[in-house]
Amino acid sequence: MGQFNRFQLNAWYQRCGALALVLFGLLCMQPAQALPLFARQTGMACLACHTVYPELTHFGRMFKLNGYQLDNGKDLQMITDEGKQILALPAVPNLALFVMVGDVQLAKPLPDSNIAGAKSLSNGGIELPQQLSLLYGGKIAPHFGAFAQVTYDFSADTFNIDNTDFRFANTVVLPDKRPFTYGVSINNNPTIEDPWNTTPAFGFPYVPPEVNVPSVASPIINAGTAYEVAGPVGYILWNEQFYAALGFYRHAQNGSNSPGNAITGEGGPVDSATSNVISGWNPYWRVAYEYDFDRYTAEVGTYGSQFKIFPGGGNALAGPTNNYTDVAEDFQVQFIGEKNTATLKGTFVRENQSLDATGPAGLGTSNASDWLTYLSTDFTYWYKRKYGFTEGYLSTKGSTDKLLYNGGCLTMPVTKCTSGGPYTSPNNPALAVGVVNSANGDPATNAWVTEAMYAPWLNLKIVLQYTHYTKFNGATSNYDGVGRNASDNDTTYLLMWFAL
Amino acid sequence: MKATKLTVLAVAAAAAMTLLARVAAAEDAAPAAIAPADAAEAEFTATTKCSWCHGPQGHSISPIYPALAGQKAWYIVEQLQLFKAQTRADPYARGMMWGMAAQLTDTQMAALADYFSKQTPFASEPAPFSSSSAAAGIAQGKSIYNDGVAATGVAPCSACHQADAGGSDQFPRLAGQHASYLLKQLRAFHSGTREQVVMNGIVGPLQEPDMKAVALFLESMH
Repeated sequence: MGQFNRFQLNAWYQRCGALALVLFGLLCMQPAQALPLFARQTGMACLACHTVYPELTHFGRMFKLNGYQLDNGKDLQMITDEGKQILALPAVPNLALFVMVGDVQLAKPLPDSNIAGAKSLSNGGIELPQQLSLLYGGKIAPHFGAFAQVTYDFSADTFNIDNTDFRFANTVVLPDKRPFTYGVSINNNPTIEDPWNTTPAFGFPYVPPEVNVPSVASPIINAGTAYEVAGPVGYILWNEQFYAALGFYRHAQNGSNSPGNAITGEGGPVDSATSNVISGWNPYWRVAYEYDFDRYTAEVGTYGSQFKIFPGGGNALAGPTNNYTDVAEDFQVQFIGEKNTATLKGTFVRENQSLDATGPAGLGTSNASDWLTYLSTDFTYWYKRKYGFTEGYLSTKGSTDKLLYNGGCLTMPVTKCTSGGPYTSPNNPALAVGVVNSANGDPATNAWVTEAMYAPWLNLKIVLQYTHYTKFNGATSNYDGVGRNASDNDTTYLLMWFAL
Repeated sequence: MKATKLTVLAVAAAAAMTLLARVAAAEDAAPAAIAPADAAEAEFTATTKCSWCHGPQGHSISPIYPALAGQKAWYIVEQLQLFKAQTRADPYARGMMWGMAAQLTDTQMAALADYFSKQTPFASEPAPFSSSSAAAGIAQGKSIYNDGVAATGVAPCSACHQADAGGSDQFPRLAGQHASYLLKQLRAFHSGTREQVVMNGIVGPLQEPDMKAVALFLESMH
């Protein structure tokens, strides 16, 4: 073992020590008042709505689709002289804090971004917190509820708008005595209105395995427009079984991606200075059916979206757009017993990309059209909601596009890709560091995700996650043209999340 | 043996006192008619909230949650009051029903109870994996239900819950209830997690296989 490795080991011990301290402190916490916002509002334990957070039970799905309305506390009330109620405010504000603390180890350190041949000083590192969210959730007024999250992002060192879902919902009883719910969710992340854990917003992996190294391609519905769009989604639920939703999203000025309007200095409207501007109103749809029997709930469904995007970033917001059409199927089988809970679920997305804006112009894509598929499936088991494990498989496939996937482009959709070749360091443009590009232009990435989980309290979960890549950005070995192998990105990730 | 006889006597005395108290209470407060507006509100609540666990018209799907259809109204009111007072403390009562019952008024409880009591009783499906061992369990359960367990002095269940387990003005309906819910409650009575002096005493000497058998038998009764 060389000097370098010994140093690494010491750093690892230090991090383990620090985590152990934090862990010990948390385990010593009294649980009595440590229930998050919905539990406070409903007076019910987390297990009513969740198997283990964030996976919802049937009860949790109904609670969400009914606009987070169940309110078992005392309201502050006001009525008019005519007896009409004009205020029904929960006496305790439904606020909560949600914290994730993580530590990441890559199988092989990343290269130094300045000096050829050097490696990064430490491999991974504790993120304390990796994510810290302030949440407001629950009833605002009768039929009107919210789930809104403002999150601190460790890597960007900023607070950002996270998942935000304001919704109106009402339930009526049909003449045949069956319940019928209808509602509108105004939100900023397509699929967040959905109550099953198969769609991307609250789907597997709950904790992203690509903590350090993102793969080169992902369908746009897979959080590709999250927090950069907003729009209304109308939905219906018949007999707690059949669900259908239709929504439209448009560009939302939000965060660093939207510098706002240079002329007025206000947040918008955006112009060609902004990259990836979503054009007009873009449809999102969802249909699902749940059948409950014995201790099982089984769901099958389909969802999709179509987004039209101007490349922007110096190009006028006019003319053709890049069009991304996603169609997906999903399923979920959930078993909830007295001691054992188990869930098998999966989704498969097909995306057709009609790159009318960038394709013919050679503006970052080699092809006039591309396609992607994305498969995510996992099995999770919990014993007494305390000890659990997950085995999941993620697979991305797509058409080969040398310029798109090997031109130094990091995210989808892409506006400016310079040339075919390994990703060059922003710190040293002469240095080809690779890591995030695909040398052969093939986006195929396959990963096995294994998680061991321990939840000493219902609101505290510790996850040890191991991600093994059998293929990364199109190859098993030397995928970036600079000598990095798929398994070099294998990630060990220790994570603790708690809500209070 | 002496101790067993004493136990039976004590349980019988406690049962008699409970019964007398309940009869007296019933005489004091004859069930008031449910106002149409309250009945409509209760039906709406049952169909749009209670149903999330207790199923349509009180026919719960998951056996974690009890079927309420056809249950005696007085028993539903009594349990809701215990949830509200946080004195019924078995795990799901604590985790779910304490919250759900917290804001219910006496009128709402009476109307909900009235609604569920008027629904057609639960016709339990045969167990999906019924086997010869399940059939043997049902037979054993029938014996315990009707005749008790002489060796340990367990009184026959039918003495109070009626031969058809349909319940009465003093005892709740058990017929057709989910076996796993009944077993969970029997365990809670056995361990004392759910406090009810009569049932704590009767179930005390019951062993796990006996509890399972009785639960299976009751589930099989339609």
